[in-house]
Amino acid sequence: MASTPKPPPGHFTVLYFAAATSHTERQHDFLQAPMPVTQLWNALDKKYPGFKVKVLESAALTVNLEYVDLDEEAARGDGGMVIRAGDEVGVIPPVSSG
Amino acid sequence: MPSTEPDVEPLDGRLTRLRQQVETAEASLRRLKLQVQETENQVEVKRQTQQAQISNASLSEQTKRASDSLRKSPRDEITLVNTAGCDSPSPRWPLTAAEYQRYGRQMIMPEVGLEGQLRLRKAKVLIVGVGGLGCPAAVYLAGAGVGTLGLMDGDTVELSNLHRQVAHATTRVGMSKVESAFQYLQSLNAEVSYVRHDFHLSPEQAISIFEQYDLVLDCTDHPTSRYLISDACVLTGKSLVSASALKTEGQLIVLNEPPLRPGNLSGGPCYRCIFPKPPSAESVLSCGEGGILGPVVGVMGVLQALEAIKILTKQRHEPAETSASVEAQPVKASLLMFSAYSNPQFRTVRLRSRRADCAACSTHRTISADSLSSGSLDYVAFCGRTAPVNVLPSESRISAREFSQLAQDSSNVLIDVRDKTQYAICALPGSTNVPWTGNADSWLAKAQQSGALDHAQNQKYIVCRFGNDSQLAAKAILERPEQTSDVKDVTNGFQAWREEVDSSWPDY
Repeated sequence: MASTPKPPPGHFTVLYFAAATSHTERQHDFLQAPMPVTQLWNALDKKYPGFKVKVLESAALTVNLEYVDLDEEAARGDGGMVIRAGDEVGVIPPVSSG
Repeated sequence: MPSTEPDVEPLDGRLTRLRQQVETAEASLRRLKLQVQETENQVEVKRQTQQAQISNASLSEQTKRASDSLRKSPRDEITLVNTAGCDSPSPRWPLTAAEYQRYGRQMIMPEVGLEGQLRLRKAKVLIVGVGGLGCPAAVYLAGAGVGTLGLMDGDTVELSNLHRQVAHATTRVGMSKVESAFQYLQSLNAEVSYVRHDFHLSPEQAISIFEQYDLVLDCTDHPTSRYLISDACVLTGKSLVSASALKTEGQLIVLNEPPLRPGNLSGGPCYRCIFPKPPSAESVLSCGEGGILGPVVGVMGVLQALEAIKILTKQRHEPAETSASVEAQPVKASLLMFSAYSNPQFRTVRLRSRRADCAACSTHRTISADSLSSGSLDYVAFCGRTAPVNVLPSESRISAREFSQLAQDSSNVLIDVRDKTQYAICALPGSTNVPWTGNADSWLAKAQQSGALDHAQNQKYIVCRFGNDSQLAAKAILERPEQTSDVKDVTNGFQAWREEVDSSWPDY
């Protein structure tokens, strides 16, 4: 039960949960910072083909434990929030089973 | 005058008599007290069974009465209590003697207290889904003394439920889950009034059923019911405690809390605010497909009961929905995630407040009570459905029975595409395990690596658990440019194998 290691300098952490873990077969990745949050889904889809349609489009996204709404970020004039080095991003698909 | 000495004996005798009288009086006092307690219990049971209306007196009045009573010396009780014709709910004590004992351990906590216990007893909670989440949630809410507990499920108990669905039992396999849970809960706490809804929730019935309750727990197992329950809670103004679990992970969210009117941004967000797009149908797995660890779903169900108790016992200072409450800080829900095999196991993320364009709870809402009740809202279509895979021509398929009659020599290759955990549970001798990767190219690479495709002239058969992934793998081989030999998938996989060939094959 090792905790997630710190990202290398200049990177941020992406934590995967539920169906995102199943799709990537990983608990986390480190991606290069900075990255506009609106580009994250495409960056991850490139890394894991099919990820966006199958999982990401319905998933919740958090940055440093705060929910981020991608539509609202995209609608902002400044291009939206930028993920910085050392940030922790969560990819949280809804779990519906029980 | 006689000396005092001859009088000692009569005095002693009097003292003895007096002592005996005191003892007799005390004994009858004890009997009377017991009778009072028993009568109070009977009154309470009668009240519950007749489902008499709980006193209209406000909770604060009841509590005031209770604390007034507490100030009086309990020794006065016998003379004060009139047990004759005591049908009306105006007991000397607001709870029965048994209730003080049963709920004392939680009642002495300031978070609950007498007032909280009275709120619980007055509360009506609906549990939708009496499975891995609903069983533990119902057990703890019944234990805590929730007045009315509604149980809704249309399924029957199966053997494969019992490692996690703690209110069911081996002797009740085949019984409806609602009836099975009712039997368990009734023996746990018969003071609760249980309402049995022995069917699956439908949009047509949702509103009229939810209206009868104060709080709803979503303990279901599919996206369609998650959206339906959330919508119905918004429309009926009920708070919703929603949880889910799969494999080793769980999620818990309290939604529509406070349950203010749609359009009031100070209300708690609904399920659509958090997850406006349903998950793709192909990414949705049931516990039967994906697996579930009992304590994982148990933890989530117990947490639902906890959140329900917190909401029900909360002292509300409800703001009138005036301009003042509109200015109030919008409520952001939080999502608790449990990952049994991660560190930390628990993570809480702050979610958003109500979405200004939410389809259910905003001023721009498109979902109405009418659209639910009329059945015009198609939740199944909204969430998408997975058709059974059917991607092969009939000449590329073989039934399990036909496959079992093939020559058992090295001219045939059997590739089992289940994951390696399932392969280790049971496998056919001589088969090669190449787990389906979800992608033709990556699977072909692995199949090649394993040597399963080495002998181009050999007949190849592909098998999996239900016969879906095996078709995709067979198709991947068929579509290779260098494909030369025959490839067939075993129709309906090991499920068919068990039904048509080997009844002893493990039904896991």
